[in-house]
Amino acid sequence: MVAAVRRLKDNALSLMFLILFVLSVCGQAVAGLLDYNDRQVAAGAEPVSLLDYVASSSFAVDVAENWQSEYLQFFLFIMVTVWLVQRGSPESKEPGEEGAESDEQQRIGRYAEAGSPAWARARGLRLWVFSNSLGLVMGAIFLLSWLAQSVAGQAAYNAGRLGDLRDPVSWSAYVTSPEFWNRSLQNWQSELLAVLSMVVLSIYLRQRGSPESKPVGAPHASTGVEG
Amino acid sequence: MRILFAVPALAVLAVAGCSVDTASPVRAAERFHAAIAGRQEQTACAMLARKTADKLPAPGQTCADALREAKLGPGGRPTSVSVWGEEAQVRLAGDTVFLHRFSDGWRVRAAGCRPVPDLPYDCEVED
Repeated sequence: MVAAVRRLKDNALSLMFLILFVLSVCGQAVAGLLDYNDRQVAAGAEPVSLLDYVASSSFAVDVAENWQSEYLQFFLFIMVTVWLVQRGSPESKEPGEEGAESDEQQRIGRYAEAGSPAWARARGLRLWVFSNSLGLVMGAIFLLSWLAQSVAGQAAYNAGRLGDLRDPVSWSAYVTSPEFWNRSLQNWQSELLAVLSMVVLSIYLRQRGSPESKPVGAPHASTGVEG
Repeated sequence: MRILFAVPALAVLAVAGCSVDTASPVRAAERFHAAIAGRQEQTACAMLARKTADKLPAPGQTCADALREAKLGPGGRPTSVSVWGEEAQVRLAGDTVFLHRFSDGWRVRAAGCRPVPDLPYDCEVED
């Protein structure tokens, strides 16, 4: 029992976001269904079930377009902060530390420690893959989500076009259409603004106890210090 | 094309599975035009989507009268079909027909349609 509670507390952050994610997706499905059926009835079509709705391209494109932008945001943040710094931000490394850093700083190869992952001790491709695994996975999920957005988006877009008595378009025409880029860019701009806000506001503002903030008393100019 | 996304997670994998029934809307379009060609307008009216059937007749006119008056040309053989979600477009040699899938099958939303560049088709019968 104590061990279970300990395990729960040790993973509380992940669990909370997992629960909020599931609740949000369920809420999106219900709200999306009501909106979709409202439009169906107005167009003279029949309402659909919740199962039919979550299996539809309409729901899939709404989910995928948000996923791709979130993963793009984190992918960019992970990769760009290797090379670019922001003086005073706890989200940044110290100026002068730009780059992939030395093996010693990264504790890899012969500098690996007793508790280091096995692939951190490896050489060659395995070490390269593990050294870049976070960026690779986030980037891959971004690309797959974006691809899913394009496929589901084309299906939803073409259903709408046929409903409007217009010809459907090919996938290549869809991914160069204003509809596809409007969906993508409206999500990207908000994610990029959120990252910009986090990087800049965390220079001057504090959240006591949060590792995303500097300690309350840390100088504005101190960089890479998390509270 | 009917695309089924079993759960949101599968959206990441793009298309989990596609099963496209293109034969049913083609049959529905052909039956509609066969009824028109056979002067069975009442039968053709029964194949229309409800909104289309409601909108078609002028005041004091029946649906069959309105269809007769629309003077739809022969449909001819099917040349292509597109199915996306619950909507379909069937191109026949002599007409383009738009259909919607209802719980009782495909019904005609619009017929006697001519393409208009960059705009919706101009249809003799539409909802």
